Amino acid sequence: MKLAKKTDIIIIALIILFGIAFWFLYNNIFSTKGAVAEIYCKSELVRTVDLTEGKEYSFSIPEEPDVVFTVYADGSIAFTESDCPDKVCINTGRLYRTGQIAACLPNQIYIKIVNPDESEAPDLIIG
Amino acid sequence: MKKILLFILCIILLLPAGCAGNSPKRYQAEFLTLFDTVTRIVGYSDSKEEFTELSQSIYDELEIYHQLYDIYNDYDGVNNIKTINDNAGKSPTIVDSRIIDLLLFAKTQYIKTNGKVNVAFGAVLKIWHDYREQGIDDPENAALPQMTELEAAAEHCNIDDVVIDEDASTVYLSDPMMRLDVGAVAKGYATEQVAKHFEAKGVTSLLISVGGNVRAIGSKADGGNGNTNPWVIGIQNPDKINENTELFSVEISELSVVTSGSYERYYTVDGKQYHHIIDPETLMPAEYCTAVSVICRDSGLADAFSTATFNMPVDKAKAFINSIDGVEAMWVLPDRSIEYSANFENYKQN
Repeated sequence: MKLAKKTDIIIIALIILFGIAFWFLYNNIFSTKGAVAEIYCKSELVRTVDLTEGKEYSFSIPEEPDVVFTVYADGSIAFTESDCPDKVCINTGRLYRTGQIAACLPNQIYIKIVNPDESEAPDLIIG
Repeated sequence: MKKILLFILCIILLLPAGCAGNSPKRYQAEFLTLFDTVTRIVGYSDSKEEFTELSQSIYDELEIYHQLYDIYNDYDGVNNIKTINDNAGKSPTIVDSRIIDLLLFAKTQYIKTNGKVNVAFGAVLKIWHDYREQGIDDPENAALPQMTELEAAAEHCNIDDVVIDEDASTVYLSDPMMRLDVGAVAKGYATEQVAKHFEAKGVTSLLISVGGNVRAIGSKADGGNGNTNPWVIGIQNPDKINENTELFSVEISELSVVTSGSYERYYTVDGKQYHHIIDPETLMPAEYCTAVSVICRDSGLADAFSTATFNMPVDKAKAFINSIDGVEAMWVLPDRSIEYSANFENYKQN
């Protein structure tokens, strides 16, 4: 007895191909590529910064003009100026990897690195 | 035959959908308003709503401890550590049992660590705190406290003057100049109590970090098919200009890991950095190492031991940690070399 008709096999093959094609589309188009820094002020996401541009620049956010962030060519970001009394935010240094965070508590601002492509990243980084 | 084929097809089509529906997604929440530090919660959940609800209830629970253990602020209707300090030498303060329990815990750790972690050390810490803030605000005129000033304050740091009456639920500082500073134990202790509370309520997999006091509930439930993996915690490199931002990662399940370091909270006098962890013996910032990480079950112990071992010469600290079952530690020395307790390296990720 024949296991399957030729047309059946074709239909199955087509469905599988369609599935694979959709999977690739989904991964490449609907998900973000590369590392991104999210800046939160008073628990609100106020800015998302692409860290893959390969150039150095500084900026501030309208919510707190006295706090300055710098993005570096190597894909890192840091607090570089702040009007807070302890400067722990600046002392935290540059952030590169998913799981890293830098916060300026007096100003209620934090930077968090998000990179959906980095599957091997630790759950948290402490120090 | 066609029916069988159709059946197989259906299975193939349903499989990915079924998997996606069952495997929980990773969520993370941050809060900046507790314990003057960053609180982070990481977990896997079926929906964002479910995770947000859980992290909010953890926040609410932590906030109670935050208010009770606060030394700087008053809260309506709450007698906290500040209330005890304000009444030093005057009268006993009636406090919540969670303050009594913290202070009893702190007294035990004081004895265990030979005084290397002391919650009655507030008078000295306050002087350093004030000089540090002034020095950061005005770096040109940054100065060190006078040793005579520190020694005078150290006269008022005898932990036996913290009088706890468990039956009356009161705390009284019999030395009017004494100030409690629970910074070295409160975060870890609160994290542990809150983690236990949610374990009792049936939470089986979650990561709570209060200012680097990481407490893992269970292991990581990211398999979807019931598989679990340990949580992976990266230990930051104290050497910030090094391109390796982490030294390595440790893998933990049902354990705590706490790091104390000298490289974030400090000020500079004449080109030299002076950080915030003050050795009760020398009254100066301890310089035996730049960071210590402690792994053990109880987050409160891990917090107390990380401060205590930071204040000990590394060989003594190592002997101390090795003498306690279930506690491991790692030290980064000023020359950037690393020392481990007997079994710490078992937790290192390969």
